Amino acid sequence: MTAKRLGWAVAAMGVLLACIYLFLYAPIFYVIYTSFAADIVWPFPPAFSMAAYGDLFTSSLYGDALRNSLVLGLGSALLSTVLATGGAIGVLRHRSRWRGLALGLFLTPLFVADLLIGISTLAFNARVLDLPGNMYSAIAANAIPGTSFAFLIILAQLVRYDWAMDDAAMVFGAGPVRCFIEITLPTIWPCLLGAFLIGFILAFNNLEISFYNLGAIPTLPSVAWGSLRFGLGPELFALAAMVNFIVFAIFGVMYLLMRYKIVRFGYRETL
Amino acid sequence: MRNAGTCQQFVKAGTSVPDAVLKLQAIVKRFGTVTAVDRIDLTIERGEFFALLGPSGSGKTTMLRIIAGLERPDEGGVFIGDRDVTALPPYARHVGMVFQNFLLFPHKTAAENIVFPLRMQRLGRAERDERLAWAMSLMRLGGLEDRYPNELSGGQQQRVALARGLISRPALLLLDEPLANLDRELRSEMEVEIRRYQKELELPFIYVTHNQEEALTMSDRIAVMHNGAFEQIGAKTEIYTNPATAFVAGFVGHSNRFEGKLVEISGGLARMAWQGDAMLVPVPRDPRPGGAILFAIKFEDLEIARAPDGVDRTGRNRLAGTLRDVIFKGQTANYIVALGDGSEITISSAPRGLDLRMSEPVIVHWPVARGATFHV
Ligand SMILES: Nc1ncnc2c1ncn2[C@@H]1O[C@H](COP(=O)(O)OP(=O)(O)OP(=O)(O)O)[C@@H](O)[C@H]1O
Ligand SMILES: [Mg+2]
Repeated sequence: MTAKRLGWAVAAMGVLLACIYLFLYAPIFYVIYTSFAADIVWPFPPAFSMAAYGDLFTSSLYGDALRNSLVLGLGSALLSTVLATGGAIGVLRHRSRWRGLALGLFLTPLFVADLLIGISTLAFNARVLDLPGNMYSAIAANAIPGTSFAFLIILAQLVRYDWAMDDAAMVFGAGPVRCFIEITLPTIWPCLLGAFLIGFILAFNNLEISFYNLGAIPTLPSVAWGSLRFGLGPELFALAAMVNFIVFAIFGVMYLLMRYKIVRFGYRETL
Repeated sequence: MRNAGTCQQFVKAGTSVPDAVLKLQAIVKRFGTVTAVDRIDLTIERGEFFALLGPSGSGKTTMLRIIAGLERPDEGGVFIGDRDVTALPPYARHVGMVFQNFLLFPHKTAAENIVFPLRMQRLGRAERDERLAWAMSLMRLGGLEDRYPNELSGGQQQRVALARGLISRPALLLLDEPLANLDRELRSEMEVEIRRYQKELELPFIYVTHNQEEALTMSDRIAVMHNGAFEQIGAKTEIYTNPATAFVAGFVGHSNRFEGKLVEISGGLARMAWQGDAMLVPVPRDPRPGGAILFAIKFEDLEIARAPDGVDRTGRNRLAGTLRDVIFKGQTANYIVALGDGSEITISSAPRGLDLRMSEPVIVHWPVARGATFHV
């Protein structure tokens, strides 16, 4: 009796879980599925074609946009990771009264809307610096929320790092730079890589901040958004599918690195 | 920058001592309201094995960190050789250190760990390999070169840590309770070995421990530290036989303690009133007749005999009691005796030739000059 009821409960939970996953992934899989369909308006019953991808690759606009998005993503991720690493180490190592404040100030950009960051950097560049939108300012502006995210990720891992190790290295003659390169970095690089990848994905996918700063320079999200004016073209589905593929590939690589212990998220094996 | 001023004064005063390897002058270090190191002066001579003995929280680690440069003193100066290093960072001081939990670099092999100080000094490859071979054979680590720290036993890690501390031939080696994490057997083995290395290398060691046996076994000179200050500093036999304070008497060796009142001083001895009885004890420093005093005497300074013994014991204190227990320890036995007031004292002596039975009346006696007395 109770076993039977338990069986029902498990089944109900299973259905609920399936519904949640459906809710999360249905739109994404719909886009991927449609990108391979012959008729994108009503892709049922299934009939497959690579035409959408053909359109995508022949259009030079998308090539430029992809290149720009990659530059933006990599640049912003690099800047965010460097700033966040410095910040996290500083907050952890210096027991100052202002530590809480310093920590808070690294996180507040997370609560500022992207739109606002976009508009305000645009206004600041135009009015104060008299600069037109350019890639550098877009990289810098994207690194604002990127730094906050990277800071969170790095801090969460770095609290477990044993700084006494650095003390030991210094006693044995390593200056601060040598010490960081020889001792700190080899142990903490996995979490820096994690922060870098998240920063890359954020900037790569960002529309608002990049759009305001880049103006006419195309990125993948801005081109996709711009082409909406002409309706949902087939190449747009192909584009969405490809972007998703890149993001999933990055997570796949991270998973494999962890799974096969090439990267260890844990600093000292217990002795 | 308060330090800079203070050091300059010391330099001007011309206090450099040519034969001293290390000199600390009036070091003070505070953490908030805690004074971890409280006006410490110390001189370490060439080739000396110096032990810093004190209970937990007495400031031993803080002192080592100040010497190594990992902590900046609030006041005072640190001199290594005749160099004022107070303001120098750790990597400019050339001292070696062995940390309590070893702190081997987990991503480097044993050999990489050991040569790390030499690489930092940019020593040539040939010389580096030569010294590595020397350190590996000194520490009997042959064959373990390519193991990572988590693949080594506790004792092996400890020897790698020692090798890393020694390999650059530092001016002095600081050791922070290096044996605390080892089991008892390995510890006593390492005690002997560490002392042997020290004598072979003629390198000054500053050895921090809260274990009095370790300090007594290994060192030449001991400082007993308490609440950030030295209670007593001297040769280990001096510390053991002539404790300067009640704290030292309680901390080093095993003592019986009698609390009483100083009645009078006569003939170079003090008369102490204790439990309606009187004992003759050594005179305390700055004697105040009528004041409360503490008399401490080591287990092995007491003698025990079957009562009643008709032997004349002039010049001796005697206490009557009953034997409660005998704890056999091998070379010695501890005889636990209950005194008239119910308190218990312990006598340590050779177990042979003393076939006392439990609950038997006994006499505890000792020459009047033994033990140490303090005002409390
Ligand atoms: N970084 C710090 N911040 C605040 N207080 C500290 C710090 N380091 C040490 N102290 C305090 O200074 C005092 C001395 O500490 P220290 O570590 O030197 O003791 P210790 O003699 O090495 O003790 P143990 O035998 O337990 O290692 C302690 O009261 C400790 O709480
Ligand atoms: Mg300590």
